[in-house]
Amino acid sequence: MGQMQEYTTITTKPMLELLSYPFMQRALLSGVIISLVLGWLGTFIISRKMSFIGDGIAHASLGGIALAIILGIAPLPTALVFGVVLAIILFFIEQKTNVSQDAAIGLLFTTSMATGIILMHFHEGYQPELMSYLFGNILAINTTDLWAIGGVGVGVLALLSVFNRQMTFITFDKDGAYLSGISPARYDLAFYIITALAIIVSVKLVGIILVSALIITPSAAAKLVAPSFSAFQKIAMSIAFIMTVVGLVLSYYLDLPSGALIILVGSALFILMSMFKSLKVNRKS
Amino acid sequence: MQKQSISPYIEVKGVTHRYNEVVVLDNVSCTIEKGSITAIIGPNGSGKTTLIRGILGLLSPTKGTITIDGKSPSEMRTHVGYVPQQLQFDRTLPITVNEFLKAYTCKDQKHRYKNITQVLKEVGLVDQINQKIGTLSGGQFQRALIARAIFHEKDILVLDEPSAGIDIEGEQSLYELIERLHNEHGITCIIISHDVAIVHRFADSVICINKRKICQGSPSATITPEVLKQLYGSDAGIYHHHH
Repeated sequence: MGQMQEYTTITTKPMLELLSYPFMQRALLSGVIISLVLGWLGTFIISRKMSFIGDGIAHASLGGIALAIILGIAPLPTALVFGVVLAIILFFIEQKTNVSQDAAIGLLFTTSMATGIILMHFHEGYQPELMSYLFGNILAINTTDLWAIGGVGVGVLALLSVFNRQMTFITFDKDGAYLSGISPARYDLAFYIITALAIIVSVKLVGIILVSALIITPSAAAKLVAPSFSAFQKIAMSIAFIMTVVGLVLSYYLDLPSGALIILVGSALFILMSMFKSLKVNRKS
Repeated sequence: MQKQSISPYIEVKGVTHRYNEVVVLDNVSCTIEKGSITAIIGPNGSGKTTLIRGILGLLSPTKGTITIDGKSPSEMRTHVGYVPQQLQFDRTLPITVNEFLKAYTCKDQKHRYKNITQVLKEVGLVDQINQKIGTLSGGQFQRALIARAIFHEKDILVLDEPSAGIDIEGEQSLYELIERLHNEHGITCIIISHDVAIVHRFADSVICINKRKICQGSPSATITPEVLKQLYGSDAGIYHHHH
């Protein structure tokens, strides 16, 4: 009994301690918002076979961040504006030319990243903020970032709630959606813009290099077990939520980069769900 | 088969369509009557699908005009149900038949979710309501597409080779379903088909195209050995299925 009490004290005390730190409160709150947004958006991105867009937008944001650092202005708002402009250009390249979507993403976003690298070349000294954007840092989320994440996150979640049916329809049958009276082009443009906004507000927590995994992994795992599209969306959001919260908590205890741990937790969940799926198939056969 | 009004409902006037420099439709004009079952026949690459995509408003012709009831195809698009030859979507996606139709619901009370069951009963797919679309057979999938197309009581039903990839018996029952829907709901049906026997049996008008319009009229008067040779080459002829 005494041993049990000791065990309880050891595990709950650090947990409460963790939640008492303002930086951790900000990281967890922003992580929860980001996970729900990217988990939901990821189901559309995966279904449209656009996985490359996550990586593309995240890498492209480096151009905006580098420009902001050089000019001495706030990186996140600059990157958000930069991302929206790139999303609009991507949409028009896709609509007006016969360049394929993945080629357009590759062309546009590597150009933006290359611009970022050149800009950073002219800035002397070590850039801690840049490193936070590249690899993700829970300590780096300040109150302004939290407001940006909250604003964008709640806005995107509200839009997805209202237009989920139309977005789902366009995802699996663009012609059918058009014939039902929906304008697929308008929704595509809105989808590119909200995807850019959601990814860019997430890079400080997860990192430019790894943010696309928070889009891909939950949906890839959810697709293995989901019996319907609405279940697919709910499971993907739940996985994104679990991997973000567990990853952040582990990051605090193990003193390791948050982005990498969030992704590794997601990968572990994917493996577990693959095994669960195999067991289910074996039992049936 | 019931014949209804004879006024031209869909009017295609001097339509030419080019993809880059390749001409796929060359000055095609034709009319489709309201309440008819019209078949469009022609060899692969003859512009059949381009013509119906023009009627659907999914592409604008390079030259010429298409009107439905005097209005542009895009204005009339919600009046048209479309069953494509192949739906280009990832069949591993976990979308159920119910969700597939649910996406098509609107504010109209008659088109709410409860009507999904009714429309699935009509096409004989009610038992598959919670089955994933990707796990349906070819015939069942086409029926799901038809169910979606008739869900909103469309005035026009466009079917692009609806029996492609389906066995002969499935094909027969599919066309019987189309005929029944046409008779019960008075829907104008436009069907692309390669099967001349099916056209003879179910259509009351046929348009033959091979980039240009070759002829138009009733199947018995229009589909002659000469026309088939013009469309498909010198080896073409009529054969009959034996069931």
